[in-house]
Amino acid sequence: MTMSERRSILLAAVALFVLTALSWGLAHAELGRSETLVALAIAAVKASVVAITFMEIGRAALGPRIVGIVTLSFIGLLCLGLSADVSLR
Amino acid sequence: MTPEDIYRDRATRDHALRFGMWIFLGSETLLFAGLFGLYTAYRAQYPAEFSAAIQHNTEWIGSINTLVLITSSVFVAIAVHAIRGDNRRLCLGALGAAMTLGLVFLGLKAFEYAQHFAEGIAPGHHYTSLELPSLGANRFFTIYYAMTALHALHVIAGLAILAWLARRVARRRTTAAHHVGLELGGLYWHLVDIVWIFLWPLLYLTA
Repeated sequence: MTMSERRSILLAAVALFVLTALSWGLAHAELGRSETLVALAIAAVKASVVAITFMEIGRAALGPRIVGIVTLSFIGLLCLGLSADVSLR
Repeated sequence: MTPEDIYRDRATRDHALRFGMWIFLGSETLLFAGLFGLYTAYRAQYPAEFSAAIQHNTEWIGSINTLVLITSSVFVAIAVHAIRGDNRRLCLGALGAAMTLGLVFLGLKAFEYAQHFAEGIAPGHHYTSLELPSLGANRFFTIYYAMTALHALHVIAGLAILAWLARRVARRRTTAAHHVGLELGGLYWHLVDIVWIFLWPLLYLTA
């Protein structure tokens, strides 16, 4: 393992632990209605750290990256549909 | 027909394997996305009941399990980088640590389930909790069991995969020159971690 690889894994680990602590802290900070959105935003950042640093999606070939984009697009469609359903009840 | 008959060289085969794994991971993500969607719909319908149920959930177990899975993901990443550098010992040690943490996760989950069952918190029609008797709380814990049990099944499968990969590393069948299997197993484990990253706040924190 090169020094650069060690550093990137270490930085990613520290970032994940810090973000986890931030999530926990903000959950007890009485943010009101934005609490869930903030928690999900932090989770998305953590997931991105795992995907980019550990799963190396940035270095993957075009095919896997297209799979990632398509998957996220379908999730986006699901969210749109859910929002429409919930708001029109 | 052998892989050598299908692919012109190992690099092409490895590319196909990685692509196939990413497609599988995409399908697994959509599987969980459906459950997250169901959670969202129920939460919109029973906001107060979900809030009460989340507050009742065992936050310390969920939080420790989050740290456990993140750390195991770190070890899997170390294992992959170690085998690339031909460091078999470090790779095996890291895989061992990752698997141990996976077992810790499952142990805590089992303890948590046992606690819930003792309180009458069970899925669907078996729900008999007197502390949270509402239909909304029942819905929360039913979707909680569906999501966490499905996730736990993925952890169990991941542990089996890591164990098999560790055996291959130990027998020198996975090496610095040929380790795409370890990379793919690592990808699967990281997805299991990502799913929990989103489960944790929704099931334990955001009351």
